[in-house]
Amino acid sequence: MADLKELVSAVVEMREDEAMALTKKLLADGTPPLAVFDAYQAALEEIGKRFEQQLYFIPELIMSGEMMKAASEIIKPLLADQSGGQGKQRLGKVVIATVEGDIHDIGKNIVAMMMDLGGLEVRDLGVDVPADRIIAEAKDFGADIIGLSGLLTLAFDPMKQVVEKLQAEGLRDKIKVIIGGGQMDEQVCKYVGADAFVTDAVAGVNYCKGWLA
Amino acid sequence: MIIIGEKINGTRKAVAQAIRERDAAFIKELAQSQAQAGSHYLDVNAGTSPEREPDDMAWLVETIQEACELPLCLDSANPKALKAGLALVNKTPIINSVSGEQPRIDGVLPLALEHKTGLILLALDDKVGIPATSEGRLEIVHRLVGLAKDGGLAEDQLHVDPLVTAISTGTNNGLITFDAIAKTRQAYPAAHITCGLSNISFGMPLRPLINQTFLGMCIMHGLDSAIVDPNDHQLLGVMLAAEMLVGKDKFCQNFSRAYRSGRIGPKTN
Repeated sequence: MADLKELVSAVVEMREDEAMALTKKLLADGTPPLAVFDAYQAALEEIGKRFEQQLYFIPELIMSGEMMKAASEIIKPLLADQSGGQGKQRLGKVVIATVEGDIHDIGKNIVAMMMDLGGLEVRDLGVDVPADRIIAEAKDFGADIIGLSGLLTLAFDPMKQVVEKLQAEGLRDKIKVIIGGGQMDEQVCKYVGADAFVTDAVAGVNYCKGWLA
Repeated sequence: MIIIGEKINGTRKAVAQAIRERDAAFIKELAQSQAQAGSHYLDVNAGTSPEREPDDMAWLVETIQEACELPLCLDSANPKALKAGLALVNKTPIINSVSGEQPRIDGVLPLALEHKTGLILLALDDKVGIPATSEGRLEIVHRLVGLAKDGGLAEDQLHVDPLVTAISTGTNNGLITFDAIAKTRQAYPAAHITCGLSNISFGMPLRPLINQTFLGMCIMHGLDSAIVDPNDHQLLGVMLAAEMLVGKDKFCQNFSRAYRSGRIGPKTN
């Protein structure tokens, strides 16, 4: 009989077909769907670690995301079937956007995907998003965190604007702000008035999880 | 091949510090070493906040021109910074860059037309960002080349950048760029085609290897201009070898000369 450890290792080692076959077999054998789901979470955590150690790269992150998505499509209906719908409590809510004036979305998309897989509820507003809309969506969504992405130095001022508007609305204490992108550093973080800066996706997810824990 | 030296860029930490501290010696050294390595233009990007950028751009232009005679590639999206640079240049520069985004068409394009500068055209706009297909990118290129030509720029003043997206996020992203380069070359034989090579290797290990291979393949499809580090021996070697192999180096003289002068090949100390 297939076991969950095998599944974790198949996902971590990027053996796509084997992981899917194992998932189906485990479920058919009566393994609780939630346990299978947790195995994927554990695998993604390991993949995140390998990414941080530069053993894995962005293609592995994307591929693991697709494996998780494919598995979720099979697992989620089963989770919902079980009485009480044991769908895990989401850790918290994040609004994420590339700020106005910038249209880079690779980093943002990867972060959004990783957050979603990591148990956060994400509303992704896309690219070139004006500060007012970010604030409005954060309020509407009940966001705990606003994630602002930008690759260009031009992104610094729009990021600062978001923080200032958040302050003006009296929401600064309630919502954490994290900025991400290749140019971000301590100085920029201070200039913008954000709570943290990151230059890679896994670090961003870890920060947010830390705040919500 | 037109080499635009990339190193005077305020988004690099050491350069940002030199700009803040007005360290002219540092900037001049960067200018001279890139000139000696065979650059045809020097990219100048102040990379500072909008209020500071015009002053910083002006200081950079003056400082660089004291150190070498190369024409410059003024790299900013900020019309005020571009104006500050344009007022001081000794030679006709390239402006980097205009895209299909309305603020750039309104703010940057008129400056290029007025000063009859070279101009880098980026195949993106504010509706779709970077189109996922080469056809989508060509549409933007056609629009921008049309605007530039109608405004009085000659085709050979234009450097079309069909854009590069990371191979790590899309297995076909290299092919899309090759196709866009080939189609641009066919539509505008006299235009230059350039691109920011290193985007291709974002998120991957061994980035220099990927960048070099990609450069060779882009040249195969018609690339003839690049914003690169001219002091990068290996990259320059790939560039000259590729140009030679596609028949753009008469009697292989550029390649051989570069070899004899030690600009390519193993470094001998």
